[in-house]
Amino acid sequence: MWALGLAVAASSTTNPLLLALLVAVAGYVVAVRRTRAPWDRSYGAFVKIALEVIGIRLVFAVFLGSPIPGTRTLFTLPEVPLPHWAEGVWLGGRVTAEGLVFALYDGLKLAALLICVGAANALANPARLLKSLPGALYEAGVAVAVAMTFAPHLVADVQRLRAARRLRGRSDGGLKALLQVGLPILEGALERSVALAAAMDARGYGRTARVPRAVRHTTTALSIGGLLGVCAGTYGLLAAEGAGYALPVLLAGLAAALGGLWLGRAALRAQPLPARPVGRARLAGRRVRGRGGGPDGLGGGSYAPTALRPPAIPLTAPTLPLWPAASVLLGLLPALVAPVPPDAVVRTGPDRRSAPDTRSGGTWRAHRAAATGAGTRPARRPPPARRTRAPNHQRRRPSGDQL
Amino acid sequence: MTGHRPRPGDAPTAGAAANPPRARRQSRPIRLGPRSVAALVLVSAVGVAAFGWPLLADSESGLAHSRDAPWLFAALLPLLLAVVVATIADTGLDAKAIAMLGVLAAAGAALRPLGAGTAGIEPMFFLMVLSGRVLGPGFGFVLGAVAMFASALLTGGVGPWMAFQMLAMGWGSMGAGLLPGPHRLRGRGELALLAAYGALASALYGLIMNLQGWPYISGLGSGISFVPGDPLPENLSRFLAYHLATSLGWDMPRAVLTVVLVLTLGGTILAALRRATRRAAFDAPIAFRPHGSAPRPDRGPPT
Amino acid sequence: MDEGELCLLVGPFGVGKSTLLGTVSGLVPHFSGGTLHGTVTVAGRDTRTHRPRELADVVGTVGQDPLAHFVTDTVEDELAYGMESLGLPPDTMRRRVEETLDLLGLAALRERPIATLSGGQQQRVAIGSVLTAHPRVLVLDEPTSALDPAAAEEVLAVLQRLVHDLGTTVLLAEHRLERVVQYADQVVVLPAPGEAPLVDEPAAMMAVSPVHPPVVALGRLAGWSPLPLSVRDARRRAGTLRDRLAPAPAATDESPPAAPGPAAPPAGRAEGLIVRRGRIDALRGVDLTVRPGESVALMGRNGAGKSTLLSAFVGLHEPAAGTVRVGDAVPHRTRPAELLRRLGLVTQEPRDLLYADTVAAECAAADRDGDAPPGTCRALVTGLLPGVADATHPPTHGTCPRGSGSRSRWPSSSPRARR
Repeated sequence: MWALGLAVAASSTTNPLLLALLVAVAGYVVAVRRTRAPWDRSYGAFVKIALEVIGIRLVFAVFLGSPIPGTRTLFTLPEVPLPHWAEGVWLGGRVTAEGLVFALYDGLKLAALLICVGAANALANPARLLKSLPGALYEAGVAVAVAMTFAPHLVADVQRLRAARRLRGRSDGGLKALLQVGLPILEGALERSVALAAAMDARGYGRTARVPRAVRHTTTALSIGGLLGVCAGTYGLLAAEGAGYALPVLLAGLAAALGGLWLGRAALRAQPLPARPVGRARLAGRRVRGRGGGPDGLGGGSYAPTALRPPAIPLTAPTLPLWPAASVLLGLLPALVAPVPPDAVVRTGPDRRSAPDTRSGGTWRAHRAAATGAGTRPARRPPPARRTRAPNHQRRRPSGDQL
Repeated sequence: MTGHRPRPGDAPTAGAAANPPRARRQSRPIRLGPRSVAALVLVSAVGVAAFGWPLLADSESGLAHSRDAPWLFAALLPLLLAVVVATIADTGLDAKAIAMLGVLAAAGAALRPLGAGTAGIEPMFFLMVLSGRVLGPGFGFVLGAVAMFASALLTGGVGPWMAFQMLAMGWGSMGAGLLPGPHRLRGRGELALLAAYGALASALYGLIMNLQGWPYISGLGSGISFVPGDPLPENLSRFLAYHLATSLGWDMPRAVLTVVLVLTLGGTILAALRRATRRAAFDAPIAFRPHGSAPRPDRGPPT
Repeated sequence: MDEGELCLLVGPFGVGKSTLLGTVSGLVPHFSGGTLHGTVTVAGRDTRTHRPRELADVVGTVGQDPLAHFVTDTVEDELAYGMESLGLPPDTMRRRVEETLDLLGLAALRERPIATLSGGQQQRVAIGSVLTAHPRVLVLDEPTSALDPAAAEEVLAVLQRLVHDLGTTVLLAEHRLERVVQYADQVVVLPAPGEAPLVDEPAAMMAVSPVHPPVVALGRLAGWSPLPLSVRDARRRAGTLRDRLAPAPAATDESPPAAPGPAAPPAGRAEGLIVRRGRIDALRGVDLTVRPGESVALMGRNGAGKSTLLSAFVGLHEPAAGTVRVGDAVPHRTRPAELLRRLGLVTQEPRDLLYADTVAAECAAADRDGDAPPGTCRALVTGLLPGVADATHPPTHGTCPRGSGSRSRWPSSSPRARR
């Protein structure tokens, strides 16, 4: 939620100073609250992508011409004529400062958005996402959970098998080794999947209550009808005449389809394990991290529009508007309030009582988290969470802003 | 429970004579009923619109001019995918299918980071195509979507583009399942068919992912960006120029790599997948007979 | 089987033990396909009319590979998973999880991710995960085959406790009979494929079973009746045997080959070896000299670094300090093909070393890898494993990942083909 707020803020402005501030806020929160999860490295990857996007935009603006009329020419490239079918495009030509600045601002906005998405990725825990899937997606959720459990094992297997190749006198580096190692791993994984399926079956997976026929038919009608509505609405939106009715039809269809989804397995959602009484105190802090401090209070465009969107023509230096900057700084709140995840990498000696299984050890982050002995997962039960949701709701609206 | 039960496919000599021709038919882990097919078709239709709206939208429609169109579809598509996956799962996704789905998705997800660069899905694509071929279009679609989702969760690449990737990968894998001759075509002919399909599909994948990203990645500031409201031919030419400039450098290598992988490793991996499907016995017949009616066969050496 | 009984299922490789166990849980034939002649009834429920998921609350199944059993990530979640599909009220679920954690000694591990547990702990979690459904019958398919002896002991002790304290009926297929046969109430022997099973008391069955613990082999040799089932029993009778053996001359030339004099260069040496794995010092200052013709046994606790030492000798880990030599070569700097002429390592997981589709192909590849004349490896394999056909698929010959000797004997002939 925090990241969503930041992203919305980012998309409503192109002021580079504000965006830089936003990026700094996001980066700080991630740095302070990051875990050692494999998905945590994604933040760096996103930053790289963001820089690439800016670079691409600038390159396009330089080489492929810009429709922005500008007066200050920086330099001129020779024009290259293009074939007839690409007549809207031209290569080379004048490169103006205004064009470059416009491309830069635009690119910065997208880059900031990407960085917010990256921050969300780095901080969120996918296991929690899987737990909150609706009942109808339970099977798919189990499949995804199985995939996420198996993937680190597969990666560890690759390393083990590459080492084993050395033992047969074959080189263990290079693409060929990887390919030859892949097949036994795949076979082993498939065999294990059948064993897993047998175990799941024997443990009672798939014991579902009989769904009454009426409910089943209603679900079918709702989902198929809903999808039809969405389809019709979408194509209506694409067409010129449909503007009036298309959007309502689409929304109605969507509601119907989602209703069918919810109805489908509403009765069969398994009861989650209730929390141990100790865990509740920690809950408050963690929910705050999710909800608090969303700086969606950058306000609508109505507040000082020129400050929020510094124009490229004429070329002016951007200024930093104070109120939006302050609300961006609110984004730092999670960094201060949320509890530190137990991720510290603790140097433990080799005489630990239960050494990690070297077969699947290295890559999985929880192995390190577990070494500290702290619990890594919060109690995630719906009833306690609802109680703490109310106070956070008020925290979401900083004073003096209209959304 | 991979037990010592007799495996019809493994003993080449003793089993072949005893096997009825039906053993050569590939069983289907997920059977698509009319409801699932309808849902798939509808969501695919919406998907076409979601990917192609820059080119398909009429110049006067509200969509073309609104700046929110990408976000609308980015929000809509995950929900529709949820509905279609739930519908397919409803009509029979049992433990075996789920386990195999999970494991193949894990394999795909583990392969994904191997590709270089941000569009690095190269090795995953070929595995999805082969799996779709062996396990059928229904399984293929769900596998493509789940594999993309799992790999996004694992590598932390969740973003508004994820639903588009899931849908596109699902299409790719489903298409492989719809190729002709799933039960009869084997050997080099099958590999050639799959290689051709793989090249085409990976090029198309790149094309539609690029199309989806075009409006917001290329922005408004250059000669090849999306201009809302322009007639189709002009936008098309701009898009083609954009595509050539950006992702062809990735698409061509990806297509080439897919072809190479299919032709070299395809045979062994197809055999492994088929062996695993046989062992999983998705469609194996179950029969009960009364006590004492079993003949005592002369069993050969233990397999 | 009566209630509260511990029933042991023994038989040679490939005879159908897993299939028989599968019939109890309903997996055979509902999951695997096939035709079932006769009936199997568990707690009054006939498996013909009840699918495996409907028997889940009376039968709990645990397989050999604990990792192929787990669906969730942490211990607590796994224990709770089995109850989710039974529709129990949340308080009951919580209570049962706590009870099971205490019963199996897992309370300290409750928040741990399963991937970080040792083999024995994982197997206990697997048992716990089926136990929370309070089944009447527990079916275990070679639970200790992937475990080292200490962990196997843990698991078998847990089963003992379940049978004696909880009165659970346990049906167990096992290869390592030495620790469990003395506790069994009933033994079912499947002598050969296609033959009728034999069911009787342990001592009587051990007399005829093709698979038996070493102490039974000794008993058979010495002609004791009834056969001893445990080392303690055997020791109490060993007094008379010692008297009988006393007049026999000492076996000639059974002393171990005389260690060569100190002049012979060592076959392998490590001096002050320090190996770091990740951030941990796996080996700290190890000194070891191995002379030609010597057999050295490395013993140590879990995580002490035994595998790391072996891997260092093979060149899989570069030492952070100190030296390691094989002959005169430095392992981690020698090309694998070169090193293979001096040293071969058979790993814990023999399947890692097998690549080809058939035995014949694997042998041919081994001969090529080692520049040995064709047929060397095949001859070695026939010596170690008589009766293995050329066309067998090595990884599927047998299901035991480790304990069944056939697959672990297999890869050792590949390095042997070179030296």
